[in-house]
Amino acid sequence: MAGAVARNFMVIGQCIAHETKNAAKVRVKKLQFDERLHMYFPKHTNFYAHDPEKQCKVGDIVLIQALPEKMTRFITHSLVKVVYPYGDVTDPITGKKCVVSSYRENIDKRNEMFGMAEEGASGFDYAEAPERGWQEGKKDFTHKVGYKKWHEFEPGHPLYNDPVAS
Amino acid sequence: MPFMKGKAPIRRTLKYLESSRLVLKERVKLQYKNPQVQVATFKNLTPTPFVRIFLENGEDILVDVDSKSRSEIHDHLKTIICKSESTLQKEARELMINPANFGWGCDRQCICEIPGQVPCPGIIPLPNHMRGKYKFGEKFD
Repeated sequence: MAGAVARNFMVIGQCIAHETKNAAKVRVKKLQFDERLHMYFPKHTNFYAHDPEKQCKVGDIVLIQALPEKMTRFITHSLVKVVYPYGDVTDPITGKKCVVSSYRENIDKRNEMFGMAEEGASGFDYAEAPERGWQEGKKDFTHKVGYKKWHEFEPGHPLYNDPVAS
Repeated sequence: MPFMKGKAPIRRTLKYLESSRLVLKERVKLQYKNPQVQVATFKNLTPTPFVRIFLENGEDILVDVDSKSRSEIHDHLKTIICKSESTLQKEARELMINPANFGWGCDRQCICEIPGQVPCPGIIPLPNHMRGKYKFGEKFD
């Protein structure tokens, strides 16, 4: 069984939330063949990839390569490149930015023709939007591993208003 | 048959899986013939379909697949990244078991079946000079 074997070449996967610093946790989906049913089933493995510059965020699809030697007990791979950043996918064939099944410039043209609403309801404005991660730590906690809140701390306790304390 | 379920259960027959023309390069058939490769499909990413192959040295090959038929894609990928017919045949020849072997799992079970060898003593008794019973046994006058 493959398990957490460090492969000799590159794998592509999606970044997920993790606790380690300087690393990115990448979830790789491989297909495992069932001998009896002659069917392939997806099997996920999590790899920790060395990423000191914090290039990849949660949700990005990245390419990682196995290191010849393990860097730490957990970090076995290193980041090669971020292939498709989350929410900001560039179509490699045309080079244009796209959103699922349409190009952003086509969406803009269509919106121009229809007319945009004044505030809020006009949809996400890619040109004006700040960099991804500007709410990280304030309103956005998707980069942290989630867990259930078991206890409500009283006011006065150091963890009283902590949004991620359980 | 309980396993023949789903849209096209023929996908799960060995005959179909082994009929992939791409050895290194049909997603399920491709994976069957190339178990070392990670075959990933990303849905709802871009408007145009494409095939992207990442090579060991960091390069990636982009193949635009929009409005191309299955056989066109197949042939194109075959010329780019698949092992040539001659390489595949050479590898197949290396894997072939020596046809001169006999025994369990081979064409011939025993050496007595091979023409030119001593015939089976169960059918034709061995000559006396080959029989231990005769050579070392009791001699009658």
